[in-house]
Formats: sequence, C-alpha cells, structure tokens
Amino acid sequence: MIMSKLFKKTLFIIIVLFGVIAFTIAISSGWNLYNDLIQEYKSKGTAIAKSIAGSSVETILNRDASTVQAMIDQFLEIVGVSYVFVVDSQGEIISHTFVPSIPHEILKIRAEKTKTVTKIQDLHIEGKGDFIDISAPILEGAIGFVHVGMDKGIIMSQMKSAMVRQLYLLSIIFLLSIAIAYMLVNKVSQPLNKLTEYSKKLASHDFSSAVDIQSDDEIGLLADTMKSMATDLHEVFDRYEQAINDAIVELQNTLAYLTAVIDNMADGLLVTDTEGVITHVNPALSFMFALRETDLIGKNCKDIFESSVADLVDKTRNFTDEIFTSEIGLARNRVGKAVATGIHKDTVQSDEKAIGSVILIRDITSEKEVDRMKTDFISTVSHELRTPLTSVRGFTEIIKKKLDEDIFPLFRASKNKKTLNSIHRVKENLEIILSEGERLTALINDVLDISKLEAGKVEWKMEKIQVSDIIERAWGATSALFDQKNLEFIKVIEEGLPEVIGDKDKLLQVVINLLSNAVKFTEKGFVNCRVKRMDHDIMVSIIDTGIGIAETDKVKVFDKFRQVGDTLTEKPTGTGLGLSICKQIIEYHGGHIWVESELGKGSLFSFTVPVNIKKESRSYDHALADKE
Amino acid sequence: MPKILIVDDDPIIRNLLNQILEPFEESGVELLTADNGLSAVENARKQKPDIIFLDVMMPKMNGFEVCSILKNDRELKNCCIIMVTAKGQELDRQKAKGVGADFYITKPFNIHEIVAKVGEILGVSSP
Repeated sequence: MIMSKLFKKTLFIIIVLFGVIAFTIAISSGWNLYNDLIQEYKSKGTAIAKSIAGSSVETILNRDASTVQAMIDQFLEIVGVSYVFVVDSQGEIISHTFVPSIPHEILKIRAEKTKTVTKIQDLHIEGKGDFIDISAPILEGAIGFVHVGMDKGIIMSQMKSAMVRQLYLLSIIFLLSIAIAYMLVNKVSQPLNKLTEYSKKLASHDFSSAVDIQSDDEIGLLADTMKSMATDLHEVFDRYEQAINDAIVELQNTLAYLTAVIDNMADGLLVTDTEGVITHVNPALSFMFALRETDLIGKNCKDIFESSVADLVDKTRNFTDEIFTSEIGLARNRVGKAVATGIHKDTVQSDEKAIGSVILIRDITSEKEVDRMKTDFISTVSHELRTPLTSVRGFTEIIKKKLDEDIFPLFRASKNKKTLNSIHRVKENLEIILSEGERLTALINDVLDISKLEAGKVEWKMEKIQVSDIIERAWGATSALFDQKNLEFIKVIEEGLPEVIGDKDKLLQVVINLLSNAVKFTEKGFVNCRVKRMDHDIMVSIIDTGIGIAETDKVKVFDKFRQVGDTLTEKPTGTGLGLSICKQIIEYHGGHIWVESELGKGSLFSFTVPVNIKKESRSYDHALADKE
Repeated sequence: MPKILIVDDDPIIRNLLNQILEPFEESGVELLTADNGLSAVENARKQKPDIIFLDVMMPKMNGFEVCSILKNDRELKNCCIIMVTAKGQELDRQKAKGVGADFYITKPFNIHEIVAKVGEILGVSSP
C-alpha cells in the first residue's frame, strides 16, 4: 500500500523532533552523571587521602618507606584510584605507586605546600590521561602530604556507556512508537486514500464505483456525505445529459425541418454575407441557374451572376429595412424575380448588425407570359372594339349630317304631326347613339389604362411641374362642360407654390376626371378648385355643390366599376373606372386621394402630391435618373 | 389636282373615310384607296398623293413600315401622312413620330376632326 503523503510528512517531522530531543536528553543526563561521578571521586579521594594521612604519621616520621608503600599500594585496589604518593615537608617523594617512573607533572606539584588545607586540582599526565589530584596534609603539612589521583578516564567511559545505553533505549522506544503511530495513521489514512480515489473517480464523472467505509467517525461521515453527493450529482448529470441529448435531438430535428423546408422551396434561395460571398443556396436556386451548389458556395455574387444580383446585395447593405426587387435572367431562357432583404442579428455590442443578405428568386417566366398575354389580350380586344366603334360612330355622324343637311329640310314644310314627331325622335336617338359611343370609347380607354396601371406597364414621364399649370390646362379642357351646365368655376391657388415631380399628362388626367365628375353631378351652383401647401405636400381640392355621396358609399367610390347610387334607377354616366385610375396615379406619385361629402350638399375630392421625393417610392429615383 | 390616299385593310373603315372625305371631291380632290401596306406604297409612288390616311395594323406590311418607306422617298417628301390607328398608347404615338408621321389620330375618331384637318392641309374651306 502507498504510504499517504500526510503520514510521510508527519513521520519525518517526528523523527527530526525526536532526534533533537533524544540527543538533548542524553547530553544533559550524561553531563549530570559526569558531575555526580566527579563529586563522588573527589569525596572518595579526599576520604582516602585523609585516611592515609591520618594513619601514616608515624611511619613517615620513622621513615619507614616500605610500610608506607605497602599501605598505599592497597588503596590502588579501590575503584577510581589511579595513583597514591606521599611527599615529606621538603617535597621529597617518600613512596609512590607510579610504574615505572614518576611522571614529570607529578614532580611539578610535589613541592606545592597547601599547609593545612586539603587541595583538589585537575591534573593531566602525558600518556596517562586526566586525573583529579587530591592532596591532604599530614599533621597540617608539618610532616608532608598525601596525594591521591582519581582517574577521570573511568568517569568518562562510565558516562559514555550510560549515554549509549540511554540512546539505545530511547531509540527502541522511538521505533516502537513509530510502528504504533504508523499503524494508527495507516488506519486513518487508508479510508482517506480510499476516499481520495473515490473522489478522483467522481471528478472524472465515474459514478459507477462505490467506496466501502464503515465507521462512525468523521471519515465515515465524510464517506457517507460523499456517497450521497455522488448520487445527487449522478442524478443531476443524468438529467442534464438527457436534457442536452433531448436538446440536440430537437435542434437536429428543427435543423432538418428547416433544411427540408428550404431545400423543398419552389423559390430559389440565395444567402450572402455582407461582401456578397455566397454562404447558402437551395437546390431550386442551383437548378434555376443550372449550376452545382459547389460552384456557388464561397464565390462572390459578382463573379457568378449578372450585376443586378450584386446590386441588390449592395442595396440591402445600404438601406437596411427595405425590400428590393429586380428581374434577372435565369438559365434556359427563363426569367426570375429576385426579392432581396438584409439579414440583421441582434448583438450585445450594438443593437443590430448586418450579417448579409437573403435573396429569394422566383421563376416568373410563366407569370410574365400570362402577363404579356393579358396585356396583349386587352390590347387586342380594345383594338378590335375600336374598329367597329369607329364605324358606328363615324357612320352615325355621317347619317346625322346627311339627315340634317339633306333629308330633314325636305319635311320642314310638312304639317304631319307624326312625321315631325318621328324626325324629333330620330334626332334624339342619334344623339343617344353618339353619346353612348363616346361612353364606350371612354370605357375602352379606361380599361386599357387601368390594366396598364395594374400591370405596371405605364411609362411614366416624371418631371418638374407646377400644379397651377395643370389646373389651368384641366380648366381649359373642361370649360365647355361648365358652359353647357352654366356652372361657375372658382379657383383659389396659393402663391409661390413649389414645383413637384410628376407625370404631367397623368396628373392632368386626374384633375380633368375630378372636374368632369364635379360637373356631371352638379346641376346648379359652382365648382371650386383650391390648391395649397400642406407641410410636405401640395394639396388639390375640387369642391362642388352637387348631389353628394352617402356616408356608406364614400369608401367605395375609388373601387373599380363602382358608381355610387342606384345604377338601375339612375342613369349611369361614366365608366366607373375614372376614380380608380386617379387613385392609382396619385398613389404612384406617393400622395393620396380621398373624399369628403354630405349627401345633397356637395362633395370635396382632394389629393396630395409630395413636394419632395419620398424614400419609399424608389421608382422615382429611377424615373428621374432615366430622365436626367 | 390634290389626291388623298386611304389605306386600311378594313373595307368598312375605308368606306367610312371615303364618305367623310366625299364632300372634298366637289373641290376637285381625288380619293384613292389601298387595302394593304404593299399596295399602299405602290399606289403612293404612282399617284403621289398629298395626304395619306394610314392604318397601322395591316397584313403584308404594317403602317409604320409603309410610313418609313414613303418618308424616305424623295418624291413623296411633301406628302402628309396621317396615322389612323386603334393603338392609342404613348409608345405607338412615339413610334409613329419616329417613322416620320405628320399626324396621329386614334380610333374611334371624330369626323369633324378629320374634315377640319384635311381642309387645313389642302387649304380649302371644309365643305
């Protein structure tokens, strides 16, 4: 088993600490022992020296050296006693125990006289070691001195052996403690190791493993907590994993759905970034241009399509919120209509960021064909109608002329009431045929006009014009109508009106239409024309004192073929298209047209034409650009 | 003697114009007719009319082509060509102008308009 790092660290510190302590103890106890032994040797030596001094007075006095020698020799057997010698008062050594000779250090101290005091001193003898020299006076130094040498070497060796023993003992105790501590720590660290392993597995999201720790202590509690945490984590992880998987599946499904929608669209889809580089196309688009998807993705529009596509991309980048359309040529001689918008994405940094353009292309070849056919049809029909209408009108006029000039004068003298009545009727009927012919002509013209307006086939000649000029010309064209009905025409035109951009003929058509309508429905009174500036528009109002329009009919007057009133009982007097055409023309100019009226009191038709080109009607720019 | 050439593939319209212009015969005006573009060109070159009433939609050669040919003919320089057509659209009007037509009248026309115009061109009072 791997020893835990914690245990290793602890063990190292313990060993160091223990070593320091053990040596400190050993040294201090060794020192104590040394001191004790020194003391003991001193007192022992002193006692021996004193005892020799006491018992050797006579022998020294007798100069009995051999007795003294014999006496001191026996003291050598006492442990610690290394040498004994006796000197007389003159410092002469009487006897000694030195073998083979007296060391010179002894010779130096032999003459020292300490009189009556016992003297203890340290002495080093070359080649023999350290000693404690104790000198005791014999008869207060009158006779001599006894010197006893206690061996310090024995003290040292005793001290050393005592210290070694102590260290041995301490080491054994230490090793035992280590062993016990190891076992104890191991018992603690083993489950900790297990827990560590377990937590490592948990960290790597392996929730399958289990940890087997059964104890009541903190580690057991920790293990239990970890286990329950692991269970919770496992659950949470499972849940999130499931949620993520679900989300991925859902996203994939959504993506697949969107891709399917895009791929199955009949219209071609072209997505570019802001630089015009193609980022996405659908199969319909590839088919339209007879190119493979791989030939398109990553390429710039400029390099692949005609310039109008790149122009669209540019426009969507410069005018963010607008939709641009353009007609473009497709493969196989087909025609497409491209609708382009900018793509914007909300970002944290700024409100909106352009990330590219999306262009939808629809194959309008058949629509264009149908459109062309419709226009052709209307044109043909109107042509085919005009020719017989020409004959009807022309011959009627000739008949009328012939009757008036050649036939009727013949009956001028006739008294026959019936004949005169017939002549009157014929005249009347011819007038009806002529006026109905006029109406039919107007209808054909209007139908042609409205179909062209609706098909966008009208050629607009936009130029700077004065509204007052148009009013003048319209008045000139309709003055005959006013004379017929004896109606007054009043015009109030504001001074210094700015010019507007518009199609002179078309606006004239509108004013003539409104004026003739006013005359048509007014029997007496006047028709008032007012022109004034309203903020950014010029407003033209035609006010009459005619029959007026009912509230419920006001919304209908601008509808096609809608004449207000009961067409069954009242004689219809127009084509029912005039106001509808007016509306289309005014709206093309970016203005609007409306009516205010009170039944029986009169009507007020107004329209506006903007002074400045409005941004929405981009066709202006083109019309003007073409012009200039 | 002034001559007026009426060109239209529709006999009724030819007849109508004829009847409208009949009164001028009294002032010595000769009325000629043609029913298609080709014969119109032939007739015009042969007769050198002063006025041509020219329909646009005709078989063989349309009015614009006829007008273009005749206007490029040096001998017919002073001939006044009046286009008479059911096509009243701006584009056709411009086209007529482009090929050199002097006037442009749309069907259905007013007979007084025709009479007045001819009288004006020929310098005779309208009958």
